Amino acid sequence: MLFRPNPSSGVPIYLQLMEQVKHAIETGALRAGDQLPGMRPLAEELVMNPNTVAKAYRELEHEGVIELRHGAGAFVARNPRAKKLADRLPEAQSIVASAVKKVRALGISDEELRRLIEAEMGGRRG
Amino acid sequence: MAEALVIEATALRKTYDGVDALRNLDLAVPAGSIYALVGRNGAGKTTLIKILMGMARATSGNVRVFGQNPGSSDEGIEIRRRIGFVSDEKDLYASMSVEELIRFTASFFPRWRNDLALEYSRRFALPPSLKIKALSRGMRTKLALLLALCRGADLLILDEPTSGLDPVMADDVLQALVAHVAAEELTVFFSSNQIAEVEQIADRIAIIDGGRAIVSGSVDELRERYCRIQLIFEDAAPPATLRSAGVERITRSGRVMTVLSSQGSATVLDEVRDLRPLSVEVSPVNLKEIFLQSVTVED
Amino acid sequence: MLWQKSWLETRWRFLIGAILLSCSAAVTVFTYPTVKELLSLVQGNATGALGRQIRESAELARTFPGYIWSESFAGNQRQWITLFAILLGTASFLSTSGGASFTLSLPVSRRRLLAVRTSTGLAELFILAMFPALLIPLLAPAIGESHGVASALIHGFCLFIVATIFYNLGFLLSTIFSDPWRPVLIAIGVAVALGFLDRVLRFTPLSLFDVMSAERYFRHGAVPWAGLLVSVAIAAGLYSVAVANLVRRDF
Repeated sequence: MLFRPNPSSGVPIYLQLMEQVKHAIETGALRAGDQLPGMRPLAEELVMNPNTVAKAYRELEHEGVIELRHGAGAFVARNPRAKKLADRLPEAQSIVASAVKKVRALGISDEELRRLIEAEMGGRRG
Repeated sequence: MAEALVIEATALRKTYDGVDALRNLDLAVPAGSIYALVGRNGAGKTTLIKILMGMARATSGNVRVFGQNPGSSDEGIEIRRRIGFVSDEKDLYASMSVEELIRFTASFFPRWRNDLALEYSRRFALPPSLKIKALSRGMRTKLALLLALCRGADLLILDEPTSGLDPVMADDVLQALVAHVAAEELTVFFSSNQIAEVEQIADRIAIIDGGRAIVSGSVDELRERYCRIQLIFEDAAPPATLRSAGVERITRSGRVMTVLSSQGSATVLDEVRDLRPLSVEVSPVNLKEIFLQSVTVED
Repeated sequence: MLWQKSWLETRWRFLIGAILLSCSAAVTVFTYPTVKELLSLVQGNATGALGRQIRESAELARTFPGYIWSESFAGNQRQWITLFAILLGTASFLSTSGGASFTLSLPVSRRRLLAVRTSTGLAELFILAMFPALLIPLLAPAIGESHGVASALIHGFCLFIVATIFYNLGFLLSTIFSDPWRPVLIAIGVAVALGFLDRVLRFTPLSLFDVMSAERYFRHGAVPWAGLLVSVAIAAGLYSVAVANLVRRDF
């Protein structure tokens, strides 16, 4: 189980649970669109008050970290991913820059390069 | 559930042979909560529960369950129709078998849940034809819990539901309870002297001591309100007293002064700034510490 | 379902009582031929109080109904039914070992719980009184004697009515004491004391045991209605005190 609040730490359990959900999203254990465990199964699994789980989920929804879809359950929202993307973008940019440099050094035209990239991405898509 | 408060007690007093078991006890249990009654042995927990169940009558004060008086014979019956109860002793009819007692209990409750009775019998591995006198304490507790959960009750009153159980059994019982509460909309009022389980499942709590509720409220709120402030000084901690509201206790040890506050840290921090500490650290306090701080220790 | 619980909790006391009382009745019937033979040996000239008693018993035993009355209705059956009335009455109803708090958590009033228990107990007591009494006319032909069914029933009935006093005495005592033994011992003590007043001191302004054995009915054919009514009143009084005790009590 991903979450394990410690009831005797003195920190309200719903806050601990919120922190642990956010942490799971940051480490990539949970990604955008992933479904979180249902409130009932989670309360049962952790042997904790269902009201506490509900409170944590409500607060997380309020902060925009998760989305509660009626009847379907709780899902990780899109925006935390966007934030993460922004963090990784500079690194991605430098990888792309060095790759472009190496390909050009092989004497391949920009036209060809664009085609190669598109083919690579299209192939993945297929 | 229409009522905002399922259990309401004001200035409740109960005297046994001139000795107060409860004195001026106030209590408000909102619908839908898991409410824990915590206290030392002899603090008055069982007495309060017996009054709620109509087994004992209050000497004075006012008590209402679902808005009705449990001390009246007729209203007591109406109240008990809506309550699932597990007693302190977990005493059941020794001469009946598990199956017979389930059928017996079912006959009193029109909303009896046969589906749940079957499910919990399996989950708890209760042998239907075994006589109750042959059951271990753990098994008897599980059966008592089954008999309480399946009544289709709006309120569960459990007197020390896990006392005398080993940790595995206790966890089984709590898990079943939590699962049940998650599935059915109801209020749980339980007494316990296991702070760990209270921290785990309760969202509201009353600490009772000497027959009075000395601390009560939402568990999260208590956790947020109570804090420990540790101050480190250049020299020995000054023997100053703090006047801020909510200062429950001050302890000094060498250069370290520890303040336990029940009203957050802000006012205390303002006040101690004048004492010029080298460092200030605020840390959370768990329920066990709140409990130990609140109850009187006679020995 | 409450009836079933009451039955489950008292059935052993009832069944043991039924077996003992029936055996006692049967043994009494079947020893009559031996007693008849012994009668011829009784000397008619014994003197003093003892002699008079021997002559009186011998006189009674000359007829089968007289023998049955003195040995059974005024003898064994009367003692056994008193004992089992006490044992049934004190059968712990709301003891903590018997699931009292579970019972009290049910949506049932205490008065109803007690009414069910007492009805069950009295029904059992009725059978304990009537069945062995009926056995006597049934078994009598086997030894070439006969006994009226109606008179056996009336004797059984008188045994039952007075025994309800001891049943309710036991019940009342069990609402006062929390342990299972004191109510039984005190009730037996009361029964023995009453018997002592009756027999030894001949203090009989209202002899419960005479109403029980229905001596006037046996000798003169008059059912002791007054005594039976008084017994019912005493039993009802004991019952209502016991109920008031339990309704008020904190558990």
